[in-house]
Amino acid sequence: MAGLKVVEFTQGMAGPWIGRMLAWCGAEVIRIESHQVPGVVRLYIPPRSVERVIEPEMSPWFTDWDAGKLFVALNLKTAGGTDLALKLVGRSDVVVENNRFGVMDNLGLGWETLHASNEKLIAISSSGFGDTGVHPGYVSWGPNIEAMSGMAWLGGFPEAEGAMTQYAYPDSLSALHGLFAVLCALEHREQTGQGQRISLSQLETTVAMIGPEMMDQMAHQQPPPRMGNRSSYRAPQGCYRCAGEDQHCVVSVATQHEWAALCQVIGRPTWADDPRFANSDARQAEADAIDAAIGEWTLGLSPQNAVESLQAAGVPAGVVQNTEDQYMRDPHLAERGYFETIPHLKRGEVVAPGIPLGLQGTPGHTTRAGAAMGEDNESVFRELLDLSADEYDAYVEAGAIELPASTA
Amino acid sequence: MIGASQSALSKRRVLEIADASGAYCGKLLADMGADVIKLEAPGGAPERSIPPFLEGVPGDDRSLHFLYMNTSKRGITLDIHHPEGRALFRELAKTADLIVETLPVGYLEALGIGFPTLSAENPELVLTSITGFGQNGPRASWKSSDLVAGAVGGPLFVTGDAEAPPVALAGEQNFLMASTCAASSSLIALLSARRTGRGQHVDISLQETTLAVSHISGVGKWLDDGIIPRRVGTALTASVPSGAYPCQDGRIYLMVNRPAHWQALAQWIHEETGNEEVLDPLFEGPSSKRIEYRELLDLFISELTALYTVEAIFHEGQRRHIAFTPLQTTAETAADPHLAARDYFIEVDHPKTGKLRYPGAPFRPEITPWKISRPAPGVGQHNDEIFSQELGISDSQLRSLADAGVI
Repeated sequence: MAGLKVVEFTQGMAGPWIGRMLAWCGAEVIRIESHQVPGVVRLYIPPRSVERVIEPEMSPWFTDWDAGKLFVALNLKTAGGTDLALKLVGRSDVVVENNRFGVMDNLGLGWETLHASNEKLIAISSSGFGDTGVHPGYVSWGPNIEAMSGMAWLGGFPEAEGAMTQYAYPDSLSALHGLFAVLCALEHREQTGQGQRISLSQLETTVAMIGPEMMDQMAHQQPPPRMGNRSSYRAPQGCYRCAGEDQHCVVSVATQHEWAALCQVIGRPTWADDPRFANSDARQAEADAIDAAIGEWTLGLSPQNAVESLQAAGVPAGVVQNTEDQYMRDPHLAERGYFETIPHLKRGEVVAPGIPLGLQGTPGHTTRAGAAMGEDNESVFRELLDLSADEYDAYVEAGAIELPASTA
Repeated sequence: MIGASQSALSKRRVLEIADASGAYCGKLLADMGADVIKLEAPGGAPERSIPPFLEGVPGDDRSLHFLYMNTSKRGITLDIHHPEGRALFRELAKTADLIVETLPVGYLEALGIGFPTLSAENPELVLTSITGFGQNGPRASWKSSDLVAGAVGGPLFVTGDAEAPPVALAGEQNFLMASTCAASSSLIALLSARRTGRGQHVDISLQETTLAVSHISGVGKWLDDGIIPRRVGTALTASVPSGAYPCQDGRIYLMVNRPAHWQALAQWIHEETGNEEVLDPLFEGPSSKRIEYRELLDLFISELTALYTVEAIFHEGQRRHIAFTPLQTTAETAADPHLAARDYFIEVDHPKTGKLRYPGAPFRPEITPWKISRPAPGVGQHNDEIFSQELGISDSQLRSLADAGVI
């Protein structure tokens, strides 16, 4: 995406991840921050540091969602701040913002104003509830949206009361949909020269992720079943304890061939032709007995060994991996070079999760991490916006441009 | 060029050979106006047998899963294992901008229709492959599923109650995220192909898309602090407070991330319960300052939430700019007044099943709206339209292809 220019008025993760991925693809992404509202992912206290102070450039979350961007700091409550923001928007292709509904309008940076400064602009506004309806302005973080969507209630084991992710899933799913929406708008602009605004309600994107289940609910006026780790069309399927503390693997069988292979591996060869387990529906009905047999076999093995045996026999299976497993004990991820080592302005280098876009012909990379708030003020305003030294100083003097904390 | 119903992707043609792991990619593209042609094996795709079914009764056009994942697409049947089927596929591939496929690694290549062949006949073609572990690496041939992706990608380890085994989310979320990444990657590759004249092979790995989506407690933080997040029910390890709290008539979800939000919450707890301790400056600042006091703070918060109904604390909490939201059932989400006011759920008419309600737009572009332009296709519904009218195959040829089981 070299040549594409993006400006972000973002917070958290649902907005910033869009810019992070575009920057990885070569776009110039400028994130506008303000000392009045420091980004939450910068609010990081290194757990090992004795003095426990916030070190905003060191936050790994900040690397994960914001590496590769240029950082300027503006006080958008000053006329000069809005003026410079609009100048940046004027020379850009895409604006990403995920502030609470109404915030951009209050800052004098609503869509009409942005569009007036740039007719070909594509702007995405991502918020919890969208910009119309009963309560567009309500506060939400990803987990709040997960709770409201029905997804949390429907997840987990049948006897439980739902399941929540620990990773603010609506943030990442909204970012991925937001990126797609922006790319669709770019495609349209290439045909017509026309920009447009996209509004994304994270609640609506999240409900779309349980589409078949919601259709079931609405067509039949009753809730779909909670499945736990089982599947309505693969049997057996489950998560099984292995040797060691909190060690598990999963097994997920779809075909008769896989079933026969599983029976061999777990030492139940006679089950392969047993009429009780003749097809997926039959195995579904006998799931408890089958799960017990698989669990008996896995309990004596490390999850790695169990999964190696199963996959070697052609049975879909996987180790329930944590971060350490993925980084230290997954030769496949290592060989594919999934994790990315990024130059860091303060630490030398850091490791971050890869950007999973899989563009083999035009692979991207992340240029740097660890920028301070306002790190790139001078290069952006002096070089990209062509401000003279005097003009720049005047904006600083007026409090419109905020200097990085260390030089302030 | 001005009009209310322009489509963003109307210039793009997509061929889809995808199971449940990739069908949502085609849906995203089709609902934004691309001409997505879904290829099924003669007789119909196995995904037509995925529950839930309308009224619980199976049938080619009764899987709600299939109906949802395949909106706005056209459908043809074609056996690519048959030489004549492959020839037709190559003709179609010449007319396409993008192919989305979820076959095992090397499968198309073994049939003689891999990326190099297709690319030689159509240099700008983009081929997007979605597989469990990606196109290369020692596990490229391993089998996967939504649950396997959730295991190797990381979500399972951290999801569920502390004392229970790991557990999956509702729906096939790992398939959906791989599909969404695939749709974006495909468009990036297409934009690039228009400039350079060269398409490319896009390699989407279910493991990697799952890992990326769930990486909030990932490698960078672990290398920094050595903390492996474990299952903690409805809370987030890194955010305190967070989780579901008991009200008079159910549970309310609460998340506090900003120092100012904590101050507002502490003040409110103090006002309503007389608690002095909650105002201690020790608890102020970012979440990481409160991590070691999680259980104590949960107790304080429960004393407040117990005074309210879910509905009352939702709105009173929000009035105070604190992120309280209900944990809704699917029935409550279906009846949610905010979603209703935004006309979120839509009705789609299907010739076989009649009108059904669907979740609507996942985002709302102003000029090129998201739109379900047609319901999911029936088995081979567009064979005539595409093979005869568009590829110019004669009726007699078409009949003999059908007789031979090619279409």
